[in-house]
Amino acid sequence: MSSTVLDYSKEIPVIEGVPTAASLDEAIVKPINDFPQRNWFIGLAITGTMLGIGGISLAWLLWKGVGIWGINQPVAWGFDVVNFVFWVGIGHAGTLISAILFLLRQKWRTGIARFAEAMTLFAVLCAVQFVIFHTGRPWLAMAWLFPYPNQHGVWVNFTSPLEWDVFAVNTYFTVSAVFWYIGLIPDFASLRDRATTTIKKTTFAVLSLGWRFSNRHWQHYERAYLIMAGFATPLVLSVHTIVSFDFAVSVLPGWHTTIFPPYFVAGAIFSGFAMVQNVLIVTRKAFKFEHLITMDTIEKMNKIMLVTGTMVGYAYIMEFFIAWYSGNATELFVFINRATGPYWWAYWTMMTCNLVAPQLFWSKKIRTSLLASFILAIFVNIGMWFERFVIIVTSLHRDFLPSSWGMFIPTMWDFGLLIGSFGLFFTLVLLFVKFLPAIAMAEIKAVVPGAQPSHPSHNGNGTSH
Amino acid sequence: MEKKLYSINAIYHTPNDILHAAKAVKDAGYTKFDVHTPYPIHGLDDAMGLKETKLGFVTLAAGILGAVGMISFASWVAVKDYPQVIGGKPYWSWPAFVPVTYEIAVLLAVLGTVGGMIVFFFKFPNTSHPLHDTTFMKKVSSDKFGITIQAEDAQFDEKKVRDLLKTTGGEVEAIYYSDEFLNFKPNTFDPKFILLLVGISLATSAGGYLYWNKVLYLPPFDWMVEQPRFDVQSATDYFEDGRTMRLPVEGSVARGFIPYPYKLGVNADSVGRFLVNPLLNTKATLDLGKRKFLTYCSPCHGNFGNGDSRMNGQFPNPPTLHSDKVRLWPDGAIFHTMTVGQNVMPGYQYQISREERWAVVKYIRTLQRAYNAKESDLQ
Amino acid sequence: MSAHETVIIPKKELPANIVTLGWGLTIVGLALVAVSYLTDSHRAAFNNIIGFTFLASIAVGAVFYIALEYIAGAVWTTPFRRVIEFLGMLLIPVAVLSIPLFLNLHDLFHWSHTDVVAKDAILTNKSPYLNEQSFTIRFIIYIVVWGLFYFIFRRNSLKQDVSNDQKLTKKNIALAAAFIPALAISISLFSIDWLMSLEPHWFSTMFGVYYFTGTILTSLCVITYFVVVLSEKGFFFKGVNENHYYSFGALMFGLLSFWAYIAFSQFMLIWYANLPEETFWYIARWENGWEYVSIAIVLLHFWIPYFMLVSRPSKMKPSNLKRSAALLIFAHFLDLYWLVMPTYSKTPVFSYYELAFPMLSIGLIIVLFAIQAKKYNIVPVGDPKLQRGIDFHL
Repeated sequence: MSSTVLDYSKEIPVIEGVPTAASLDEAIVKPINDFPQRNWFIGLAITGTMLGIGGISLAWLLWKGVGIWGINQPVAWGFDVVNFVFWVGIGHAGTLISAILFLLRQKWRTGIARFAEAMTLFAVLCAVQFVIFHTGRPWLAMAWLFPYPNQHGVWVNFTSPLEWDVFAVNTYFTVSAVFWYIGLIPDFASLRDRATTTIKKTTFAVLSLGWRFSNRHWQHYERAYLIMAGFATPLVLSVHTIVSFDFAVSVLPGWHTTIFPPYFVAGAIFSGFAMVQNVLIVTRKAFKFEHLITMDTIEKMNKIMLVTGTMVGYAYIMEFFIAWYSGNATELFVFINRATGPYWWAYWTMMTCNLVAPQLFWSKKIRTSLLASFILAIFVNIGMWFERFVIIVTSLHRDFLPSSWGMFIPTMWDFGLLIGSFGLFFTLVLLFVKFLPAIAMAEIKAVVPGAQPSHPSHNGNGTSH
Repeated sequence: MEKKLYSINAIYHTPNDILHAAKAVKDAGYTKFDVHTPYPIHGLDDAMGLKETKLGFVTLAAGILGAVGMISFASWVAVKDYPQVIGGKPYWSWPAFVPVTYEIAVLLAVLGTVGGMIVFFFKFPNTSHPLHDTTFMKKVSSDKFGITIQAEDAQFDEKKVRDLLKTTGGEVEAIYYSDEFLNFKPNTFDPKFILLLVGISLATSAGGYLYWNKVLYLPPFDWMVEQPRFDVQSATDYFEDGRTMRLPVEGSVARGFIPYPYKLGVNADSVGRFLVNPLLNTKATLDLGKRKFLTYCSPCHGNFGNGDSRMNGQFPNPPTLHSDKVRLWPDGAIFHTMTVGQNVMPGYQYQISREERWAVVKYIRTLQRAYNAKESDLQ
Repeated sequence: MSAHETVIIPKKELPANIVTLGWGLTIVGLALVAVSYLTDSHRAAFNNIIGFTFLASIAVGAVFYIALEYIAGAVWTTPFRRVIEFLGMLLIPVAVLSIPLFLNLHDLFHWSHTDVVAKDAILTNKSPYLNEQSFTIRFIIYIVVWGLFYFIFRRNSLKQDVSNDQKLTKKNIALAAAFIPALAISISLFSIDWLMSLEPHWFSTMFGVYYFTGTILTSLCVITYFVVVLSEKGFFFKGVNENHYYSFGALMFGLLSFWAYIAFSQFMLIWYANLPEETFWYIARWENGWEYVSIAIVLLHFWIPYFMLVSRPSKMKPSNLKRSAALLIFAHFLDLYWLVMPTYSKTPVFSYYELAFPMLSIGLIIVLFAIQAKKYNIVPVGDPKLQRGIDFHL
């Protein structure tokens, strides 16, 4: 123990070594300019196949309707809503890393922020497809989802949590996209100036809007970034809160519980970090970003997973306790049925993966092992998917009257769309790392040692050479 | 092509140098100068003497607009334009409007901030600036730090500027540009551009028309239009009689149905003696009777039963209900006539329920009494 | 380079008039508490819960911030950590103030009457949890856990003043990791025991989070108030700058928004589902004058401080920070009053009974701080992160 005491009087560097700004550019731009590796094509083939399975399932869904799924009364929400909540949750990590950690001045976020923001967008896309297609006739969905003046004199119901969802998810996607794009503008300008072909140069020139790295612009830009981070932070809370309202405003035992909003948010961050961790570890290895995305970053991600996992565990236990404490027989029945009823395996998968598995991160050895981090992150993803399955399916399948009890058995099309959503997500991730800078160039340059002027008034501060 | 001087620039290698240089340039009194750095540098705003950005006000204004606009809109929809009782709650259930209001406030605040910054603060998009595509730009976009002092600055003097920048330790260079390059303005009324706009609007309209009116009626989207079921009143091969709709089983009687035993042609007066009005003279009865009378009887018999409707003269004249004959009839006789009809008047038993018919009788009696009021009635 | 030489602490004792004020408030407060217990022990006990949970908020919040600084590796709070450590000492008055509560348990808690419980199926169901014996044991566990962690944190920190040993920081980090989950469970159950079970039929899974958010917000406000006053008056070290102030202001702003989020979510879900077993608790707080208290809390605990702290310069201005902190401390007191008193009275009540405990609480905060400030270094001079904390800039 005594041998590994850190020097707490020094800041932990965000990146390893003291690279020059030019070499950072070089390292980040390399994957974009080089012809892709063979592994990239193999990866794309796999995710493309998954996407294809999703495409076939989707075509069949459109042709036949939602009857091809396993849903029926009393379980009218099945994989569609499970997947929606799962993917929206994944999306939250991106905004958390880019906005909340920015507000908290956590510099280690720099290496992974761009990446995580992109994953937010892709995950929200994956989520949106499920809510759109679960409406049954999505080509008419615009008429039910958006308030627009129409000849029927009808408006949407603003008191419905499902309508809140429409607003929340749209706002979230828009704001995340804007946030991501604003962060990319200086990098597009860098790429523009480094471009060797006319096509690239023109594309990046248009995308950069004519950015000139002027400090008169940086001044507003930095403030805008701060303001957007300030808005994105409560927004990320509100989105999963509203998703939790879909369940919690009802009077259904197992859904109506006041802890749902913070519990869903913690779960979303938890699952999102796990997904970022998975993709991060692979990318870091594949593109040799080891010095930019340090072991310290990965360890911190694991710590956050430990914290949020424990928070989720707190909510599981609190729900169970209050179900008993409330003295409400149906409420208690739902919780006991979750643990011991026909879906007991889902409940215990959730408990093992979400509450028990992350506890292994208490060990520093596991926290700093790439393989262990990768495997545990997969466990967390599985567990969080099952959490939504448990919440939705087990609360529904036992109705108030035993005569209305039923079971939910997914069909191959349910799985087809689930696989397809993973295919879509990872295909987009692969395209992103190939065609756009996966690490924010302007940001990472700013946190290299010696990148900021040394303050004559303060001595030290970790930035002087 | 004549080239003009845009600015004198200097390149520096460390953040400390650029900080000092920026301060020196500001202290020398230049106002039209700028610093270009690959990433934001702490303390540079102060060194350049820049004022605090006003961007926050744009955010605040856009956010308040979003919040106020959305809650007003939701309230207007819920209270005024499309009131619906949902979950047994009052129309104006403000806690339920908070989520949408919040989302729209955030959306507008963010879009306002970004849009305002890009369009008004940056004057972007602008890809034809003299600095673009220069070696200077290529350096500052990678790892160098640069200062530009523009030729349009009031106290610009090329030699002095070069000296100043040299003393701060920079590598000095100059940027030239041609007027033609900078003054290029697109012509809004260019026929090609107008044609493009027309083309886009036509394509959009055609696409919208096809989507809403054609595509949605093609398979598979029409699956709700073509449904495997029998429509009412339609023909079918399935049943022997060729009709979709089935008759009730012979001898079956509807619940609550009381058969009426008397047929058309029976003397109304004599039938009437066997029938008694079951209703009481209440306001509700009379109101009901009045409503039904005005709906079914008045078109021929007139609003007050005088037989003076506009049917007069176009038809065998409908009789007045104030004749002695009708006045002296028992209630049952009027009821019978209404039920089965008389002469050209059809029976109304399928339009007016049994109870309603009795209420109409009560109302006719009221009218008759009003037309033949006695002294005592007025007291 | 040791921080000993760089940090110059001009004065460390609190000014005499503040100390006198503290002692005065404590003595008058104590006298009022005694009078109120003698005249109307029922009402005094309810007020006692408010004062007791209020001090617990500050004390437990302070221990939480100590742990949070260690576990998050934060540096900007390091120069002020001793202030936080001093405030943790309020755990002692918390323990002491619980004694009169235990003596008057039957006045406070419906569930403590076994005859009532026997007739009520729901309370009988809860009796394995809500009974005097387990209630007392649980309270002792909370106090021991909090006290023990606090004591070790503090001992290590004080030791470091002399030894500059970095291992002590490492020890405290490990301790903090263990403390935070323990705190999450203990503070939730504490709030259920002492506040939620005043209405033994009512329940909300969010309640622990609600109280905990109020706790850390109030504690932060007290810390901020002390830090600002001490540095303004020169009773602290030099080098507290707007970056530190901004961090305090931003954290305060974030937490008060989070409190509003939790409070609104809890209300909205109960309002929307409209189940009588849950709504009666809010209805009691929306009748007979309580609605004005409810509205006051929404304004004082959220809207007014929100706009006081929303802009960037306002988060750096010391005078504004002091005002907002004072307002929020008052708002938390009002919040506790709103949580507790509807059980005592159908209408809001106010007289010297309600003043006794606030006076005593404020007095105790000042007195305990003054005593410790005199005895110990007011800045953790041996902490390796101290210099980084002083140099902190955004």
